[in-house]
Amino acid sequence: MFYKLLLILSLSFFAQAAERPRGVSSAKASFYQPGKDFKCLTSGETVPWEFVNDDYCDCKDGTDEPGTSACANGFFFCENRGHRGSYIISSRVNDGICDCCDGSDEFDEKIKCGNTCDEIGRKEREEREAFRQLQEQGYKIKQEYMQQGKRAKDEKRARLSELEKQMAELTAARDEIQTRKDEVEAPETEAKERHQKAWEELKAARQAEKDRVKAAHAFAELDANRDNVVDYPEMQKHLEFDIDSDGTVSVEEAREYLDDSDGVDLAKFQDKIWTNIKDIYKPPAEAQETKEALPDEDVATGSQDEEDRGEDSAKPKEAGEEEEKMPPYDEETQKLIEAADVVRKEYDEAADKVKDAENEVNGLKKYLEVDYGPDEEFSALRDQCFELTDREYTYKLCAFDKSSQRPKAGGIETSLGKWGHWYGPEEDKYDAMKYENGQSCWNGPSRSTHVNLHCGVENKLTGASEPSRCEYQFEFTTPARCKQPEPVTGQHQHTEL
Amino acid sequence: MRSRMVAASDTVFFSGHTMKVAGFFLLGLASVFSVQRDNFRTCDNVGFCKRHRALEPGTSSYAASASSMKLNPTSVSLDVLEKKSDVKFTLTIFGLKDNTFRIRLEEKDAMRKRYEPPVGDVLIKVPEGEELKYNGQSGNQLTFNKGTSRVVLTTEPLRIDVYSDDDPVISINSQGLLKFEHTRPKPEAPPAENQDEENKEEAQEGEEEQQKEEEVKEEEVKAEPEEPDMWEETFKSHTDSKPFGPTSIGVDISFPGVEHVYGIPEHADSLALKTTKTTDPYRLYNLDVFEYDLYNPMALYGAVPLMLAHNEKRTVGVFWLNAAETWVDISSNVADKSIFSNLADFVTGNNEIPQTDTHWFSESGVIDVFLMLGPGPKDVFRQYAALTGTTPLPPLFSISYHQCRWNYNDQDDVRTVDENFDKFDIPYDVIWLDIEHTDGKRYFTWDAAKFPNSIEMLRNISSKGRKMVTIVDPHLKRDDNYKVFAEARDKGLLIKNKDGGDFDGWCWPGSSGWPDFLEKHVRDWWADKFSASEYVGSAPNLYVWNDMNEPSVFNAPEITVNRDIKHLGGWENREVHNIYGMYVHEATMDGLLKRTNYQERAFVLTRAFFAGTQRTAAVWTGDNMGEWSHLKISNPMIMSLNLVGITFSGADVGGFFRNPDNELVTRWYQAGAFQPFFRAHAHLDTKRREPYLLPDENVKVIREAIRARYTYLPYWYTEFFTSEKDGAAVMRPLWVEFPKEKATFGIDDNYMIGSALLVRPVTDQGATNANVYFPGAGEVWYDVETYQTYKGQQEVNVQAPLSKIPVYQKGGTIIPRKMRPRRSSTLMFDDPFTLVVALDPKQEANGQLFIDDYRTFKYRDGAYGFIKYSFTSHKLHSNVEHQGSGFTTKEWLERVIVVGLPHEPRKVTLHQSGQTKELIFTYDSTTHVLIIRKPGVNILQNWTISLH
Repeated sequence: MFYKLLLILSLSFFAQAAERPRGVSSAKASFYQPGKDFKCLTSGETVPWEFVNDDYCDCKDGTDEPGTSACANGFFFCENRGHRGSYIISSRVNDGICDCCDGSDEFDEKIKCGNTCDEIGRKEREEREAFRQLQEQGYKIKQEYMQQGKRAKDEKRARLSELEKQMAELTAARDEIQTRKDEVEAPETEAKERHQKAWEELKAARQAEKDRVKAAHAFAELDANRDNVVDYPEMQKHLEFDIDSDGTVSVEEAREYLDDSDGVDLAKFQDKIWTNIKDIYKPPAEAQETKEALPDEDVATGSQDEEDRGEDSAKPKEAGEEEEKMPPYDEETQKLIEAADVVRKEYDEAADKVKDAENEVNGLKKYLEVDYGPDEEFSALRDQCFELTDREYTYKLCAFDKSSQRPKAGGIETSLGKWGHWYGPEEDKYDAMKYENGQSCWNGPSRSTHVNLHCGVENKLTGASEPSRCEYQFEFTTPARCKQPEPVTGQHQHTEL
Repeated sequence: MRSRMVAASDTVFFSGHTMKVAGFFLLGLASVFSVQRDNFRTCDNVGFCKRHRALEPGTSSYAASASSMKLNPTSVSLDVLEKKSDVKFTLTIFGLKDNTFRIRLEEKDAMRKRYEPPVGDVLIKVPEGEELKYNGQSGNQLTFNKGTSRVVLTTEPLRIDVYSDDDPVISINSQGLLKFEHTRPKPEAPPAENQDEENKEEAQEGEEEQQKEEEVKEEEVKAEPEEPDMWEETFKSHTDSKPFGPTSIGVDISFPGVEHVYGIPEHADSLALKTTKTTDPYRLYNLDVFEYDLYNPMALYGAVPLMLAHNEKRTVGVFWLNAAETWVDISSNVADKSIFSNLADFVTGNNEIPQTDTHWFSESGVIDVFLMLGPGPKDVFRQYAALTGTTPLPPLFSISYHQCRWNYNDQDDVRTVDENFDKFDIPYDVIWLDIEHTDGKRYFTWDAAKFPNSIEMLRNISSKGRKMVTIVDPHLKRDDNYKVFAEARDKGLLIKNKDGGDFDGWCWPGSSGWPDFLEKHVRDWWADKFSASEYVGSAPNLYVWNDMNEPSVFNAPEITVNRDIKHLGGWENREVHNIYGMYVHEATMDGLLKRTNYQERAFVLTRAFFAGTQRTAAVWTGDNMGEWSHLKISNPMIMSLNLVGITFSGADVGGFFRNPDNELVTRWYQAGAFQPFFRAHAHLDTKRREPYLLPDENVKVIREAIRARYTYLPYWYTEFFTSEKDGAAVMRPLWVEFPKEKATFGIDDNYMIGSALLVRPVTDQGATNANVYFPGAGEVWYDVETYQTYKGQQEVNVQAPLSKIPVYQKGGTIIPRKMRPRRSSTLMFDDPFTLVVALDPKQEANGQLFIDDYRTFKYRDGAYGFIKYSFTSHKLHSNVEHQGSGFTTKEWLERVIVVGLPHEPRKVTLHQSGQTKELIFTYDSTTHVLIIRKPGVNILQNWTISLH
């Protein structure tokens, strides 16, 4: 039955095609009346019928030459029986390339074109059917996505407004505790400081005494002839007093450390000299070590210098006496502390609640400010990452978050962009995504990724390339891009013919 | 195609270390933004340049001996003595056909033969002699006559003056700057001693007496003092061993009465050459210069040592045949009227007679100068063409539009670009693949993952009449498993280092070797690599691009091979440097032609070039930048190439480096559409800028520009055909067409294509107007779009919005066009013609058309058509001047447009073979344009169209 219908249709078309000029569609056939002057379809000039398809362009709009290449702005209609009629631009007529599947655009013997319409038509129908099925399957999943997405959005919105309400209460509660906390902490702090201060004073006194003892030791060591006077020749034996680093301690250098005198007794040493030399002075054993290390220092590089300095600064700690412990607080202070601790704990709990709520609000807001498509269908991709590995790299797309690549052989991940915005054409902006402001390229822009989205039954990264330096292009299939398939009707063929 | 950062900063990253790493890195960065000048030698870094430049004008120490004169029918030779050194030379003056002289000076008893390019390689043959008549001696002057020209040789001090029709036109050694460094043994106790002396001199500054004594002593011993850089020179970290010592040559050449000299490319400079008083001389040394600077005399990728000197009365040319590094100093002076009394005749109203003095010096070789006496610019083109040949007619596809990028990544990418051109209905003929298409920069191979089936890809583009060009560079990756390299090494075809081992340098693939293209057997070997069986994955519609053939070597001095490396014939590179690149593309072209047993024409593009390059390759101006200044300089640069015979040349449309904005890309397409070689190209790091990616407004303008190119293809093709015969520039400075009009001599933003089209590309950002100089008193010019008329010899500020390319057809010309847009030029083969007849004030016009099969060499056997058109007394005649036996065509005449016709004809008739037919026409009385509808005759026929 179907074939019969087709045959009849074809025959009737044949009859009509013979009537109308080459390259004219049936829809426009009525404008071309054999024998009558032709009026250019849009530009309006009138030319004799003989000028139609005579391989010379007369109409400004090119409509007098639908069947030749004479008009640069004209169009040729391919019948393409078995497939679908279509227009090609006139310059493709008789150029030696078969553009219409029925070969009708090449008729000057330059090339013999076969008729591939049936084959192409079948192939296209198959492809269309396959695509329709894909859409159908995909659309089912998409509907789930839409539901999930809407539910998620509703839930998150509800939760957000709930949280926003709670927030005031939580904050108030925290602030109330804060006031109490301040009240109990004031006496506590005062008591603690008092205790601390007394301890510091005690420590200072002890330190001074220790220092005098150290000075006495040093005096004894420096006083080589044990005459109870440290004089400059004794100082000269200690290379650490070599101010100008010329290898010897001169009389002047030695005297300078002795407060410009020839010698000092123990009392003066403890009172005036020790403070100035205690950081320089080295007991005999240590002085020897330093001397041996000296030659190395000449070739030391900057970095080694730094290490040396590090050692130096570490020394006082090593040499330093063990830190004496502060005696425990008195009972009264202890009580104040315990009382404050109770309120503090109470406060921390309240503050944590506020912070948790804030975090949740921020998370919700972040989610809600993203456009997941007209039906929330893309929300299903959120928090998911997809990978694709080619010859050199593994590419990764984390939806609404970031894109990246890392060398297949291992190595660090390079950011190819952070979620930016939808990037499709105005009429279909959900056709593509843009991730931008990735890692900067040397001498170039920061990396960005253009993600083309296609209908597919699964969420999958199917392609990754770099058409321009640092501008990446991903291909991604997802049910979220599937459209509701149009219902199949038998009339499809008719409208095309 | 491009240079790279590695080279610009090699020494930076590897020489300095530790403390100041950060500082050095900054230097490296700076080099991204402009040429790193210190990578290249200035005259001060070049021993022989310093030595020649230091010479002061004065009395020459060279003298010819009249008694030694040997007269031959077409030449004369004499002994010349350099009096300080007692070294003897031979001077030969040749009379050549077509108003040309050749003057050679060689060392008589040289210790070592000097390099001269073999006849057939630069000179196409031994130039044909013409009788030179000895006209006697008068005092110390010998005179030789040839036709209306004569050469006056002054024996002592040696000097040569050339007269044309009694006017002095060229003087050689009139300033006494001749210096020929004779071969000599290496001194026993060499330069070191001198250096010591110099030091001593410095130390004893002020002790004048002793210094004088030394000078006197030196003069007695030897005329030429040894200088430290005569036997060894260093540049940066490189040492040049100079085993043969100083070998340079140089002489001054003056042009009395001349203010404008042109030529000696390649330089990024104005068309009219500038005086070099405050700069280095113009340098000719083939170099890969990263991000070259504009308006300076630095050397670039190629060299043609041909200079044209022009004034209102005459054009002459000087061709300095030397393949070594060459420098040319230029200064403008006034002529010595006491010697040239005749000069006063043609410079009126001016007390001083201008003169341009030039000073040429080369590192080695002999002095071999061709003097072409014109007298017109086109005569000089023909005279030079007789020496080095012309550009053979390019296959039609190659003068169409080329789409290139570093890189189209893979087969899918190629297919997508190809499809997009069709989708956006923009014609293109050739898509190009840069180095990334290969397997690891091993030329003649494909990256198997990206191009798994190159044959299929080539077939796909071939189905639309399109072609592909792949890059094949001369550096071969040192890899035993790379067949081309292994073969070259095993057969001993590679150039050697100074110690005799294979030269090892860095280029794209890393460590590489270079075949020695100077040897014929190496070129033959290379040519065979292009056969279908050797170049696996190639196809007949695949053509080739030779880049980096200076040659570029990233880790060598000045980014090119060391001067002391050895070629197989025993020459050092210093002797042959500038010719190497030409041999590369010659061998490549031969390989492509061999594929079809020399039946089909082919296409090769080269970056390096030399005199003679025009015979086997097109040239582009290398790695320019996507900046307005580089668009502007493309015109003088391509014109300079055209003046020296390299007519098929162009610049990267859009600029190679950087990201040009949409306006610049658009304007560049408009310019490129009217330059001989039309290819868009872009660096790997740039954003994609294929025309269809631009905003709609720009796509539209670019589509129109490219289509305009295609409509004028018949005109371009005819121009290339005639240029193959006469060597004429295709893209011409205005003065070539209007040699007597002084206002045109300095113009390089307007130019002519052939004799009929005047082009003034817009090269300024934001411009909506342009100043167009319309040359020619009494001429009339027509805007090719609006037919608006302009009178000659005036500058007019014309409207030039983004959509406008200011192009004008000269009144008195007839241009054949094909107005049907197709996807590629191949698809236009059978399309009909439109003749645009632009009438001059006498209501006359002439034009011509060449047609053939657009792709083979059959035209050389006469299988072509050549038709002359003339319009006179209201009649347009088609006169088939040539129709080869058996050559026919389907092309026909679609339309005739007559521009500048003041009155509407009553009737238009076509007369052919005794038949008369009335033709339909339209006439626009405001524009004075008559359009004759569909004469319908086959284009290869005689006929007349009469306007009644």
